[in-house]
Amino acid sequence: MNTYNIKSSQLASFFDQLIQSGKVVIAPVLKKSGKVFFEAVKSYDQVATDYIQTGFSAKSVVFPKVEELFSFVRNDEDIEITTHLENIPETVVWGLRPCDSSAFNYLTEFFLRENPDAYFAARKKKTTLIAISCAKADEACFCTSVELNPGSTVGSDMLLTMMGQDVYVEVTTEKGKAAIETAASLFTASEEKSKDEFLAKITAVFSMDEVKERIKTAYDNAEWKHESMGCFGCGACAFSCPTCTCFDIQDEGTQNKGKRLRCWDACGFGQFTKHASGHNPRHNQTERRRQRLMHKFKYSVENLGIVSCVGCGRCIRVCPAHLNIFENILSVTK
Amino acid sequence: MIGFKNAIYKLPVPCFVENAAQIEQLIFTPACQGNLAVYLHKPEVKAAKKVGIVANIATLRSVLQLVSENQLGDIEKTVLTVNAQNELLVFDNMDALEQYVQANFPVISDEDKKLLDQVNAMTRAERWQFWTEQFSACVKCYACRAVCPMCYCSTCTVESNQPQWIKVSSETTGNLEWHTMRAMHLAGRCINCGECGRICPVGIPVHLLTAKMNQNIEAEFGAKTGFSFKSGYALNTFKPGDKEQFIK
Repeated sequence: MNTYNIKSSQLASFFDQLIQSGKVVIAPVLKKSGKVFFEAVKSYDQVATDYIQTGFSAKSVVFPKVEELFSFVRNDEDIEITTHLENIPETVVWGLRPCDSSAFNYLTEFFLRENPDAYFAARKKKTTLIAISCAKADEACFCTSVELNPGSTVGSDMLLTMMGQDVYVEVTTEKGKAAIETAASLFTASEEKSKDEFLAKITAVFSMDEVKERIKTAYDNAEWKHESMGCFGCGACAFSCPTCTCFDIQDEGTQNKGKRLRCWDACGFGQFTKHASGHNPRHNQTERRRQRLMHKFKYSVENLGIVSCVGCGRCIRVCPAHLNIFENILSVTK
Repeated sequence: MIGFKNAIYKLPVPCFVENAAQIEQLIFTPACQGNLAVYLHKPEVKAAKKVGIVANIATLRSVLQLVSENQLGDIEKTVLTVNAQNELLVFDNMDALEQYVQANFPVISDEDKKLLDQVNAMTRAERWQFWTEQFSACVKCYACRAVCPMCYCSTCTVESNQPQWIKVSSETTGNLEWHTMRAMHLAGRCINCGECGRICPVGIPVHLLTAKMNQNIEAEFGAKTGFSFKSGYALNTFKPGDKEQFIK
């Protein structure tokens, strides 16, 4: 790891330099609705700086809500197929939180470990993650429970920690070094510093080891029903989640001209597991919510060795019924 | 018994009480904004046959509207609320509930009125621009549908794929189609609880569409939603004395 300092007054110059280098820069923007979302920006003036968490995660940069896999045109007997993999621009995600950048580790394992997904791979290769440590948190944040922390460098290429007039910069990858190179004169080498006093204090609400152990036998726990009764079966939690990866393949167009799309899907939807026969193996919301939570804390551990909840708290903040994932997990692993 | 209980993160969460020992968890405060009437459609609740529900004014109106649409016939209902004098009221017959609702009928909130006035004041082109921009952000999570006590179709049009009326993918035109379809379906049925707009994860004020529809229906037909359990709803009720000529 290389560590640097940059003056906080120089951050805007660094940011604008990234844009001038031709990269698409995705950053948090305060919308009219009062919520903060990632979107492509043209200058540092547009970037929100006072936010705990963005409404949705940055996963759409590598796993868009709708991705065109290919388009096709039929001419007589020939079918012409076009993919758009080569048109993916170099992209920088600015200002994602350490929980979100660690989610990219999970996404990478999920999409690339076996049968690598060409679309994810192409986007990931061109994406640089510049994360910003959390100076504040709210009651929905629980990263420390899933063994991350508000200053974690896991998954990012560069982590910025605001320290008053200075910004402490930790660079962990070649992409991070390349980002420094776009504005090298703004940075000075720094010794490694303790970030603790500049980070949000988040008390762990459970022990990950205990949860991992107890959830192994939690499948039949009666609390699932109790905790899931309030679940409406919408996709707000899955769509805002940085690690939910389920998708639905859709063809749009006619027999002669059309496109194949990959669209976000959600295991909370009643149709998600519905068979053509009409049978639905997850036939009620209790089973659907159990699936979502067990996937995060049990199945992804078994399949990829990673707890796929990063404690970002988005599902708690967006849930129309205000259901709370960590309260649910606590009650089924008591 | 369907009610609210306290939660760690800000707002109270729904609470389902199945025995007397759990009753202590129940709370009812001004923060209990959610519309619990939506749970009356849940199979587990319907199966219980005897149901109690803690209700704010939006929920009370939803119960009336659902009864008028013949949706709650199988359930023995007890509806609890707290009036402005902080007294607990218990309704187990719809006539008493209707009387209470009519005497305490809410007016549209100042905030919604302001937003509606803004949209009404727009030219047609500006309005199109406004909604196009709003719906371009929709991700089709269907939270608006999920929280709506009046969205109780067992299969929604968006889930039909043979034929597919509305695209599954989220993009501006398809999103507009979805929200227009939903608004039309709720015209004169929406009880203006505002939940769909309040809970939208991307902050689309989607409740304005149905609120506007309701204003039109009230102006044209003199019908208020969630006002009476006997009235049905304006767009499928026909009376010999109706002033409209087209049906005669």
